Amino acid sequence: MTPLIGIIANPVSARDIRRVVANATSLQIADRANIVLRVLAALAACGIEQVLMMPDRGGIYGHVTRGIERSRNQGEHRFPSISFLDMPVTGTVEDTHCAARLLRKAGVAAIVVLGGDGTHRAVVSQCTTIPIAGISTGTNNAFPEHREPTVTGLATGLAVMGRVPHGTAFAPNKLLSVAVSEKNEIALVDAAFVTDGYAGARAVWRMHTLRELFVTFADPEVIGLAAIAGLIEPVSRRMSGGLMVRFAPTPDAAMILGAPIAPGLVEAVGIDDWRRMPAGVPFAPTLASGSVALDGERELSFTERDEVSIMLLDNAFLTVDIAATMKFSAVHGLMRQTHRQYEESLT
Amino acid sequence: MSSNPFPLAKAELLQAYRTMRTIREFEERLHVEFAKGDIPGFVHLYAGEEACATGIMMHLTDIDRIASTHRGHGHCIAKGVDVHSMMAEIYGKETGSCRGKGGSMHIADLSKGMMGANGILGAGAPLICGAGLAAKFRGDGGVGVTFFGDGASNQGTVLESMNLAAIWNLPVIFVVENNGYAESTSVDYATAVDSYVDRASGFGLPGVTVDGTDFFAVYEAAGEMIKRARQGGGPSLLECKMIRFFGHFEGDAQTYKAKGENELNRATRDCLKMFAQRITHTGVITAAEFAVIDREVASLIDDAVSTAKGAPLPTTRDLLTDVYVSY
Amino acid sequence: MARNISFKQAINEALDLEMRRDPTVIILGEDIVGGAGSPGETDAWGGVLGVTKGLNAKHGGRLLDTPLSESAYIGAAIGAAACGMRPVAELMFLDFMGVCFDQILNQAAKFKYMFGGKAKTPVVIRAMIGAGFRAAAQHSQMLTPIFTHVPGLKVVCPSNAYDAKGLLIQSIRDDDPVIFCEHKNLYALEADVPAESYAIPFGEANVVRDGKDVTIVSYGLTLHRALEAAERLAKSRVEAEVIDLRTLSPIDLDTVIESIEKTGRLVMVDEANPRCSIAADVVATVTQNAFEALKAAPQMVTAPHTPVPFSPVLEDLYIPSADGIAAAVSKITKTALAA
Repeated sequence: MTPLIGIIANPVSARDIRRVVANATSLQIADRANIVLRVLAALAACGIEQVLMMPDRGGIYGHVTRGIERSRNQGEHRFPSISFLDMPVTGTVEDTHCAARLLRKAGVAAIVVLGGDGTHRAVVSQCTTIPIAGISTGTNNAFPEHREPTVTGLATGLAVMGRVPHGTAFAPNKLLSVAVSEKNEIALVDAAFVTDGYAGARAVWRMHTLRELFVTFADPEVIGLAAIAGLIEPVSRRMSGGLMVRFAPTPDAAMILGAPIAPGLVEAVGIDDWRRMPAGVPFAPTLASGSVALDGERELSFTERDEVSIMLLDNAFLTVDIAATMKFSAVHGLMRQTHRQYEESLT
Repeated sequence: MSSNPFPLAKAELLQAYRTMRTIREFEERLHVEFAKGDIPGFVHLYAGEEACATGIMMHLTDIDRIASTHRGHGHCIAKGVDVHSMMAEIYGKETGSCRGKGGSMHIADLSKGMMGANGILGAGAPLICGAGLAAKFRGDGGVGVTFFGDGASNQGTVLESMNLAAIWNLPVIFVVENNGYAESTSVDYATAVDSYVDRASGFGLPGVTVDGTDFFAVYEAAGEMIKRARQGGGPSLLECKMIRFFGHFEGDAQTYKAKGENELNRATRDCLKMFAQRITHTGVITAAEFAVIDREVASLIDDAVSTAKGAPLPTTRDLLTDVYVSY
Repeated sequence: MARNISFKQAINEALDLEMRRDPTVIILGEDIVGGAGSPGETDAWGGVLGVTKGLNAKHGGRLLDTPLSESAYIGAAIGAAACGMRPVAELMFLDFMGVCFDQILNQAAKFKYMFGGKAKTPVVIRAMIGAGFRAAAQHSQMLTPIFTHVPGLKVVCPSNAYDAKGLLIQSIRDDDPVIFCEHKNLYALEADVPAESYAIPFGEANVVRDGKDVTIVSYGLTLHRALEAAERLAKSRVEAEVIDLRTLSPIDLDTVIESIEKTGRLVMVDEANPRCSIAADVVATVTQNAFEALKAAPQMVTAPHTPVPFSPVLEDLYIPSADGIAAAVSKITKTALAA
C-alpha cells in the first residue's frame, strides 16, 4: 500500500474585488481541474496508487472525474485511484476546513493544495502536522510558489515515497498567530492592521487604511501586502523570525515606497519604521480599533474593548521542498528506469 | 459611544436599516395578505434578499437606471419607489404606481430610474444596455444596473447583453442574484459552470462574488464597480450569493427544498439580523434606535395596506387608455 | 420639375434629415455602417443593401454597428428609448423577429400600458419585408399581421418613395414604438420626392386611383400589382378604385368604407399568408361595419398558405399577381375580361 495523498482544490477562491480594482484574474474552473489532472498523472508516475480529494459542487469534481473516465476508456493507466471525502459541501471556505481535518484523520502523507494565500491558510489552520504542497491558482499568491503543477506532483510523489531524505524533501515554515479576545486565527504570510472596522469585500487595496504589517517572510518577488516588506528588507522563508512595518500617512512618512500590492496595481505607501520580528514574542498593535487582514483578507474586527496580540512561530508546519527534491532526484537518478522496468511499464 | 468603524455614517446606516426593514415588512405582510386571498395574480417575495438590493442601491441616484425581475419589490423600495403606490398597485387599484394596470410583476417608476419589474426573465439586460448607451450619449456619468437570478442568467438575452456591454464599454453592472433556485430547479443542475465570474471573464468583463447576505460586502463591492463604471471603466458582473425565505411565488409548497431549510436560513442567515447585530456590537447604534425604526416601518406598511384596500379600483374607461401616446 | 429618387434613397434622406434635426436620434444595426473592426473601408456597406450608406460620414458616432445579437441590441434600442433617446434600430429582415420578439412584444409594446401611462418608448424598428428577391423562405416573409395584432405597436408599410420618406420622418417623431417595413423589392423604385423634410400622418390611407366599380385595397409591393390589375380591368371597362393603406396600425378603414359605399365591391390584396392576414382583418371589419353597402362577397387575394419558395418560377406564383387580382374582380363584378 503506497502512501495516501490528499488534494484540496476549492472552487470558491479568487473571485474577489481585486478583479475590479486591480487587474486580477484567476484560473477558470476548467483550468483548475486540468491542474488537478496534471498532478494526479505525476503522482501516478511516482507509483502513488491512492488519492483522496475534497468534493465540490463548483465544477472541479465534474471535470476531474470526466477526465479520469475518458483516460480509462482509452485503456490508459495514467491516474491513481481517486476517492472523494464523505463530507457536506457548502460552497464556502468551510469546505476547505472540513476537508483538511478529514484528510488529517485519514492519515494522508501530504496535501496538495490549489488556491491562493487564503486557501492555503485555511488548510494549515486545521492541520499543521501534514506537509503541504502548494499550487497557486488564487488572486494573491505570495505563499504558494509559482511552478508547473506537474513538477509539484512529481516532487510530492517522490517525497512521500521516501526516495528523498526527509530533511531535503520537507522544509519548515513560519506562521503568525493572531488573537482578538477569544478568537484565534493564523496567517501564513502577512497580517495587516487596517482602520476599516468591517470585513466588507475583504481584500485590502486602500493603502491609506494600513497601519501595521507583520510578515513571516519578505520576498521582493511576490505581490500583495508582503511585497511592501520584501522591498524594504528581504527575509527568507528559512530564516528565523519575520519583519514588522509601521505605516504613516504619505505626507508625513519617513519614507514613501511603491509596491505591487495586487496584480497590476503598484501603489505608494508611507513607511514610518520597520524592524525584524523575533519568533515567539507576542506583540500588540498600536491601532485601537479596526480590523486585521490575514494573508490579504480582512478577517477579524476589533475595538478598544478587545485584547489583540500577534506572535510569529518558527517551524510551525512543513511544505514539500520542490526545488530541493527535484535537484536531489536529478543528482541521484531517481527518475531513471532500467530497461526491464520500462518494458514492464508497457504491459 | 465608540467611533464608527463602518464605511457609512450613522445616518446612512440607519437609512440602510430602514430600507431593508421596509422591504422585509412589505414582503412579510404580503405573505400574510396573499394567504387571505385578497391579492390577485402572482407575487414573488424578496424576503431574505434585502442586503443585495439595499447595498447596491445606496450608490445610485435618480439618474441611474435599474431593471428588475419578477421578484422586484425589494429593488423598487431600495430605489425609492413610493411604498403606498406599490401596495396599491399590487392590489390592482387605480392609485397604484401603474394605475392598477401592471401589478406586482410590472411595478415601475421611470422618474426614479426604475425601469420596471419584469415578468420576462433576462429581458432587463438588453434594456439596461440601452440605459447605459443613453447615459454615454448624455455624458452625465449615469449607470445602469440589471438584476437577474441564477436561472435567468442562462437566458440568451443576458449572455448577448454581456457581450454587447463589453464591446461598447457600457456603464452597466450585471447583478446575479444567486439564491440557488430557479423556481424549483437548483443552480447546481441548471448552470454548467457554477461560476458566473468565469462566465463574465469569458465575455471580457471582470466579475466578483460576494456573500449577498452581508450588507457591507455587497455595499463595498458594488461601490467599486459603480464608481468604475461612472468613470468610464466599463461593465462588470456582481454575483450575490443569497437565500430567499419564501417560495418562488406565494402558494409554492417548496417541496424541492430540504427539510427545515427555511427555518435554518431564518435562524442563521438573516441579513437584517446580522446587520443589526454587527452594528449594535460596536455601539454605533443601539437596539433601541433600531426598534424605533421597526415600529415606524410597521406602521408605514400597515397604513399602506389599509390605504390600498380602501382605494378605488380602475374603471371601464381605464381599460382602453394608455395603449399609445396617440393613435 | 420632378425630382426622382429611389425608395432606398428616400429612406436615407429621411434618416439624414431627422438626425440633423434631433441629436437624440441614433441608428443601430448589423453592418449599417459596415467594416467595423475590419482592415478595409469603414462604411463598407452602409447596410446590407446600401440604404444607410453615407450617413456615417455626416453623423459619425451616432451610427452603431452591432454584433449578431438581435435580442441585445433591439432591446438596447428599446431601453434607450425609454431613457429619452429616439433610436432607429434596424432588424435586417423582419423574418429575424424570432430572435428578438420578446423585447418588441412584451417590453416595448407593453411599457406605456403596464406602467399606467408613465412611460414613453419612441423607438423605430426598420426591417425588410417581402418576396420576389429569390431570397427564399427565411428572408422573404410578409409578417406584418403578427405586429398589427399587438396593442402598443404601430406598423407602417409604404409602397413608394414619397410615402417612405414622409412616413419614416413621422415614425421617428412619433412617441410610440413603430415597426417600419421596407419592401426589399421596392428599393429601386423611383418617384418624385421633395428634398425638404415633410411628415405624413399615420392612419390615413391614400386613394391612388379613382373608380366606381370595385375597391381594391392593398399595401406595399402588391399595391403596384393592384394598379396593374386596374389598368387591365379598364380595358374591360371595369373602373377600379385603388387604395393604399400606408399604415397598418393605426389603419384607416374609414376611407375604405367610404369607397365601398360608392363601389359596393371589395378586393383586398395582401402578400401575407392567408390565415389571420391583414386581408382577413380588413374584410372582416368592413363586412361587419358596412354590410349593407356590399353588393358582393368581399374577396381576399393573398399568398398561399406555404413558406416562400426559392425557385423563381414558384416564387412568382406565390406573390399575388395582377392577373390574380383581375380575376377576383372579374368574379365579383361578373364581368368577362378582355384579352
